[in-house]
Formats: sequence, structure tokens, C-alpha cells
Amino acid sequence: MKVTLTSVYSPYCFPTLLKSSSLSTLCRPFCSSALPSPPTCVKPQVPIFLRPPIYSNKLCDLNKWHDWAKGVAFSIGSTFVHSDNGPDSSILCRELKWLMEDAVEVPSLDDERVRMRIDIEELYCLWKQRVHERRPFQYVVGCEHWRDLVLSVQEGVLIPRPETELVVDFVSDVVSENEELKRGVWADLGTGSGALAISIGGVLGSGGGRVIATDLSPVAVAVAAYNVHRYCLQDKIELREGSWFEPLKDMEGKLAGLVSNPPYIPSKDISGLQAEVGRHEPRLALDGGIDGLHALLHLCDGAALLLKPGGFFAFETNGEQQCKALIDYMENNRRGSFCNLEIRADFARIQRFVIGFRQ
Amino acid sequence: MTVGVALNWCRGRGEEHGWKLEGDTESVRMAHKTLFRPTLILSLRLNNPPFSLSHNPFLHSQPPFPFLLNTHPISLPSTSTCTTTIHLWCSNYTTTTTTTTTTTTTTVEGSEKCYLDLTDEELMRQCEMDTFKTSGPGGQHRNKRESAVRLKHLPTGIISQASEDRSQHKNRASALNRLRSLIALKVRKTVDLDAYSPPRELLQILPPKSSIRGSDCGPQIGPNNQKFASGMQALLDLIFAVEGSVSEAAKYLGLSTGALSRLILSDDSLRKEVNDLRASKGMKPLK
Repeated sequence: MKVTLTSVYSPYCFPTLLKSSSLSTLCRPFCSSALPSPPTCVKPQVPIFLRPPIYSNKLCDLNKWHDWAKGVAFSIGSTFVHSDNGPDSSILCRELKWLMEDAVEVPSLDDERVRMRIDIEELYCLWKQRVHERRPFQYVVGCEHWRDLVLSVQEGVLIPRPETELVVDFVSDVVSENEELKRGVWADLGTGSGALAISIGGVLGSGGGRVIATDLSPVAVAVAAYNVHRYCLQDKIELREGSWFEPLKDMEGKLAGLVSNPPYIPSKDISGLQAEVGRHEPRLALDGGIDGLHALLHLCDGAALLLKPGGFFAFETNGEQQCKALIDYMENNRRGSFCNLEIRADFARIQRFVIGFRQ
Repeated sequence: MTVGVALNWCRGRGEEHGWKLEGDTESVRMAHKTLFRPTLILSLRLNNPPFSLSHNPFLHSQPPFPFLLNTHPISLPSTSTCTTTIHLWCSNYTTTTTTTTTTTTTTVEGSEKCYLDLTDEELMRQCEMDTFKTSGPGGQHRNKRESAVRLKHLPTGIISQASEDRSQHKNRASALNRLRSLIALKVRKTVDLDAYSPPRELLQILPPKSSIRGSDCGPQIGPNNQKFASGMQALLDLIFAVEGSVSEAAKYLGLSTGALSRLILSDDSLRKEVNDLRASKGMKPLK
């Protein structure tokens, strides 16, 4: 099993068959050796805020920890900002406040004792990991607040980004004007924590529309399943393990919509990433190959095959250059397949998304 | 960008693109006068739009028109499938001030659409949204939880922001609620005192002892209720109309001066607004 996981996480096994268009090649898994299909047995971790408050600690001990943690945060100053544009003291202090919110049960037991969801010794350990090892705060607390959701995340699963929240707005706009798309089947490829799939499941409402979410990583599939369950959307969202379109063989020409936030960072940029991202998040979810476009071009090809006429797609990209490259690819190499192609910016005004419809 | 330039653009290049200006120059100028800043709303009808319409063309690299800040597509009956009516907000804002330092009060004619009557979605479409983003490529590159949100309401220039929550989505909702309060505080409608009759939303925030408040108004709406903003706006309209005199305003509302004072003092932002007005008229502040 260990060998399997290692190869699953290797980002270097991207297919060399991106230019191909037939479904059979699209369906060939990226890492054929990595895809035996034993039942997934990854047990997702429970985020701190969902654990029972079984620990009772002295308030003075908690304060002592808090003062220590604050001191650690302040000692950082802007060191990380200068080294890799990481967090400064003020951001770390904000995270410390959130960690307290998640760990401590309110109201307290009495004036001297508090109930907590995690032991105080472990808090020391977690905060050291956060600051000294640059472990992402979201992995420390085990969750990320995203749109109106609180999603469980853990190592091996990409932490959903605020930018991606906009994809749900695009889908919401499209289905509000098109009842047929609202009742159709949508796919979220490389779902990670399940953020997009769950939100879109909510947007589709009770009208019969559903979502299929795929991911190559068994950890991601397990975590996404946990999140889907937490929002009681098991009937609406189906999880399938596998590479991109490989688990969607049955959906050729049937999808009403397709969304994805695929890996898009050019390989050469991976080493310079902020430590929280580069050292801790799964490379599988970040590394988009030489120009960062490997997965995105593959998605364009798949979208042409799997979307039904009038079907909608939205892809997140690295920025303006990739958006233009994608549009160019769709207009030239996939002429006649798509229409109403548009580039949309994120809230930082970076051209982030390509959206459009199947002709 | 002045109104004239915008109009000339529409007549010149605009018509080449299939734009047609509806309404005569005079009505456009009137519209211009009713707004406090050089802001102008043009209703345009497009046949076969030369570009795709979206809520905020600024999100594209090249805004289609330099003076176009926001377009607001309006759905038309299905008979006119190729025609879209959009409103243009034209403006010459050059500076951005934060809400705490905004002191200008907007006067809008009574016939103007009340911003507070808009749904969240409609109001959001009149806004430009920013995140407090520093440099860098963003997206998958970053992990800084930059969830803070800043909204700029383009028709009025009012800015509201929120950063207290862990999710950008929730901060957006908070910023929007805050924007409603700020609009209520800063956007004034003129009131005809001779024919004054308090609107329902104002009656709803009055204490039950008001002699003009009918029993059909339901329980009193307090400052923590989302609906308070509309009532507060109408109350401020009245207080501005009587130039800050609480006793005068109280007569129109069937209240004692003391009861109206207590209502004003129940909300900090309302109190500040009234006291700022009174200070500008040389009156003592309410305490």
C-alpha cells in the first residue's frame, strides 16, 4: 500500500497524451500503476472544533499557553514575509485566536477551569508545528472556512482557496437562468476537500440535479466523503476515485456542467512557494507540469467530449497567461466545440477563470 | 469624465457599436442633477451586443469603455431576445475614502429608487468588491487566509468592509449589511414636510407609545434587526428636513421629544449622525 501511495503522489506521471481526443485515451489513468482499486481505507481526521470537549484544564494553564504562543508569534516578526512571503506576526496572532475558538468550549466550566476539545500539551505541540515547521493553520485545526461551509482538511488534501469561491457564483448564475442545467449532472474534477462539489450540490437544490466528484488521491476522496456526509448531501454528490475523466466513462455527452480547480502552478515555481504550501500541501494538487497547463488542457479535451450541447464549464487557472492560452487552445485546437468563452477575474483583479459553454 | 463627454461618446462611438441612447439630453441632465456627485445613470438599449455582458467589466483586463464602472443587465421579456437594456453608472471618482471619514451626505430626489429596497444580489451588483490583496499570483500559490472584503457602492461611493470572519463569503455578507447601514446614514432623500406622512419602515422602529403608530405595525423593530436600517434612513430624512430639531421631528411622529431622543440614542451610529448635523447647525448634542 505504501508503494501505491508514493506513486499516487508523484506529480511526474502526467500523461503524454494530452493532445488526444478520444475518450479511451482520456480515460487512461495518469499513473496506471498507481490505480489498483482496493477499497479506500483512509480514515479522515476529525477537525478540532468537532471533537467532544473532554479535556478539563485550568484557566491559568490555558493563559500560560496563550502567552507563550503569542510570544512565539511575535518573535517571527516579518521573517517569513521576507523569506517566502509567508505570514507575519499579526496573521499568526489572528490564527492563534481562531485556534482558541476551535479548541476551547465556551462558556467555561467555572472561574478556574475550562473545557477543551484538545489537551493543552497538544496545543503546545500544534503551535510549534504551525510556527516552526510552517504547517498550514488549516491542517493544524483540521478545517477551513470556505463560503458558508466549514470543511475538514488534512495533509494530502489541498486547502480550498478563497479565490475558488467565485466558481460557485458562476454556476449559481448559470443555473438560475437555465432549469435544464439545474436538473442535470455536474462534475467536479480533482475535488480535493469536496468544496466545489458540496457548494454546487447546494446550488442545484432539490430539483434532481446532482454532482459527481472525482479525485485521484484516496485521501482526498475520503476527506471529501466525510465533508459530503457532514452536509448530508450523500444523495446528491457521488464520489469516484480516479484520474480526471477516467471514472466518468459512462457520462460521455451527458454532463450539464463541469468545474475544476486543477493543479496549475508551473513545475519550476514549486520550489519557491510559501513554505505552508510548498512543504505541506500535496504536490499532486499544485504542480501543473512545465507550463502549468497539463491538467487544464486535458480538462478542455474532456469537456469537449463529456459536456452535452449547452453544457457549462468553469476552470480556475494560474492567471492571465494561462487563461489566454486556454482560450487560444479551445478556439484553435478545439474549434467548434465551445462558445461564449470568457475570462473572469478574481477579487484581486487577477484573471483567474475561464468559463464557457459546449457548442 | 463629465456627463457631456459620456453623452458625446454614446452619440459618437457608441452608435457605431450599436448603442442607442434613450431619453433626451434634458432628462439625462436632470438625472445628473439629482445625484450628489457627477454620477449619471444612462439607460441604454443594445441590439446584438458587441461584447458579452457581465456584472462587472472591470474584472476583464480591458474595460470596454473607460468611464463604465458597472453594468447591470436587466432581463427583458422573451420577445426581445437579442436586446439587452443596461444601466451605465458614469462617475469621476478619483479618490477613495474610508467610511469612517466620509462626511458628505448624499441627497437623492424622492423619486429615486431606494438602494435599501434592493435585494442583496441587486445591491451587490452595484458594488465593486476588493480583497485586501498584496502582490503575488494568489490562488494555489498562497496560504494567508486573506478573507477580508471591501465593498465600494459605485452609485454613492460609500465603502464598507469586513474582516472579522474566517470565510470570505461571510465577510462579504457582513460588509453588505454594514453597507446598508451606511447607506441609511449617508444617503438623504428630500422630504416634503407639508404633506409628510411617515413611511411604514419608520413607523416600525418607533416605540409603541407613538400616537400615529397603528397596531398593524407589529412589534417595535430594534437596532439589531436588519430592517432597522430602512427606518433609520427615513428618520434621518425627517430630522434633516427639520434641520436637526428633535422636538420638531417628534411632532411629526406623534412622540414626545424625550421618547424620540431615546430612540436616537439607542443606536450609536444614528446618534452620531444626528449629533453631527446638530453640531453643524450650532445646536447642542443629544446625550
